[in-house]
Amino acid sequence: MTSNADDDGSSRYVSTGPFVWVATLAVTTLLLVLLKQALWLVVPFLVAVVVYYALFPPVHRLMLAGVPRSTAASLVAGAFVVVALLALVPAVSWTAAHAVSGQEAFYRYLDAGRVLIDKTLAMLEARFGFLERMHFHEQVGRRMAEFGETNLQKQLTAALLGAAAWLPSLLLAPFFAFFFLRDGQRFLKFLGAAVPNAYFERTLYMLERFDTTARAYFHGLLKLTAIDTVCMSVGLWVIGVPGAAVLGLATAVLSWVPVVGPIVGGILVILVTATDFPDQPQLVYAAIALLAAMRLLDDFVFLPLTVGRSLRMHPLPTVLLIFVGGAVAGVPGLILALPLAGLVMVIAGTIGGILDDPRLRARHAFAKRLRAERITADLGAND
Amino acid sequence: MVALFHNAGEAPRLRIVRQLPLFATLSRRELRVVDSLLHERRYLKGEIVFDAGEHGQALYVIVAGRVLICRQGEPDTGRIAELDAGVVFGELALLDNAPRAAQARAAEDCVLASLSRADFESLLDTHAIAASKIALQLARQLGRQLREQNAARPEG
Repeated sequence: MTSNADDDGSSRYVSTGPFVWVATLAVTTLLLVLLKQALWLVVPFLVAVVVYYALFPPVHRLMLAGVPRSTAASLVAGAFVVVALLALVPAVSWTAAHAVSGQEAFYRYLDAGRVLIDKTLAMLEARFGFLERMHFHEQVGRRMAEFGETNLQKQLTAALLGAAAWLPSLLLAPFFAFFFLRDGQRFLKFLGAAVPNAYFERTLYMLERFDTTARAYFHGLLKLTAIDTVCMSVGLWVIGVPGAAVLGLATAVLSWVPVVGPIVGGILVILVTATDFPDQPQLVYAAIALLAAMRLLDDFVFLPLTVGRSLRMHPLPTVLLIFVGGAVAGVPGLILALPLAGLVMVIAGTIGGILDDPRLRARHAFAKRLRAERITADLGAND
Repeated sequence: MVALFHNAGEAPRLRIVRQLPLFATLSRRELRVVDSLLHERRYLKGEIVFDAGEHGQALYVIVAGRVLICRQGEPDTGRIAELDAGVVFGELALLDNAPRAAQARAAEDCVLASLSRADFESLLDTHAIAASKIALQLARQLGRQLREQNAARPEG
């Protein structure tokens, strides 16, 4: 859908004052608190929205070729389910077959990470005398051992059980995506019908902006993932890390979670490199340098060019929102905070624009009065 | 909510939409696509459809009733035209992105079908033939209005 709404002067219908900013922050926080209570529904819904925006271009192409929307949606959603099943069946059987060796590999990677930290600490102690006097290496090693014994297994079990509990609800995602593709237009019409005449055109404008913002955000996210995957895979391949493509994709997908995601992705890359090259710490340092370079590229080049453009938000409230999201709803809050804020901002801006426009409110009051007079026209006849 | 996913009752409405000159040249399939994009709005006599100076987001077709086009806030002294069923209005704002040139009010109780700018642009993308048929009908109406205005202008 092409849009020039912002170039035609109608963008003045959207208020951007302090009211809108405060309302956006407050409503987004409230929504995150509420969504936390229904995450089993919110997460498949979010996945469905990503699938919807990923599948919409082929549906659009089929519509261009003259295929009716419902048929195009059925064909594309059906093809997606078949491809997903074809990819999932071998993946599930492979995972089941390698579950035991996977657990062994996990502990091997953890061990390699511990060895790497040991070596780095020993090197630091050798370089800086004050660290040696503090028995820094010994103390950090003891703390790590304590943490590993008490927390790690507990955390890992909880995370795996949590992931298993989520899987059935994720099956709702393709179901939702199909109905978004097939009935999205009908839903918008249904929504428009509920709006009073005076606000009808503003609502059309808001719905268009809403769709444009969400589409730009999720397309941006998919583009960012593709760029990150390619850059990270090429970088790891140049360093010589095995499984560069899989690691590149994993770090790119983990980057969907602001702050925490890149750290987890970075740890994953470092552990794999340290395990596969235990005697070559320079490769681990090269991987760390690559991760740092990718972070800088992401934050200052790729992110502003893809996702950042879609939301048009100042960096200060953006960072604030990410932290608020993490504080009130954990990792899902970190992921949801920005897209949710973008959409809340569109609605708050439109409502702010209506509240700022006394003429619109007067027109609505006039229409209500006309309706009230019509309804009560015969009631005074017997007085 | 049931009506949202219910298609069976659309045939009589499609017949009404087909009778509107703007959509008269569309095939049955194109008509169904366009109908799915139209918003039906009901206005009481005297109610304002849009004000002059607003940035228009939609064009309107009069399905039933009459609409008065007048100078802003002057329904009695500033009459420009009174439009009957089947006529399109508000299309200029959609075509050239300019603010609405006049005010539109319901001259009597009326039913309007509205096509939004975003949906019209989407139609140009996805159903170019149907969109071009609608654009041709719009151009014909604009040409007719221009000829009528020229004829009404005093000579000299």
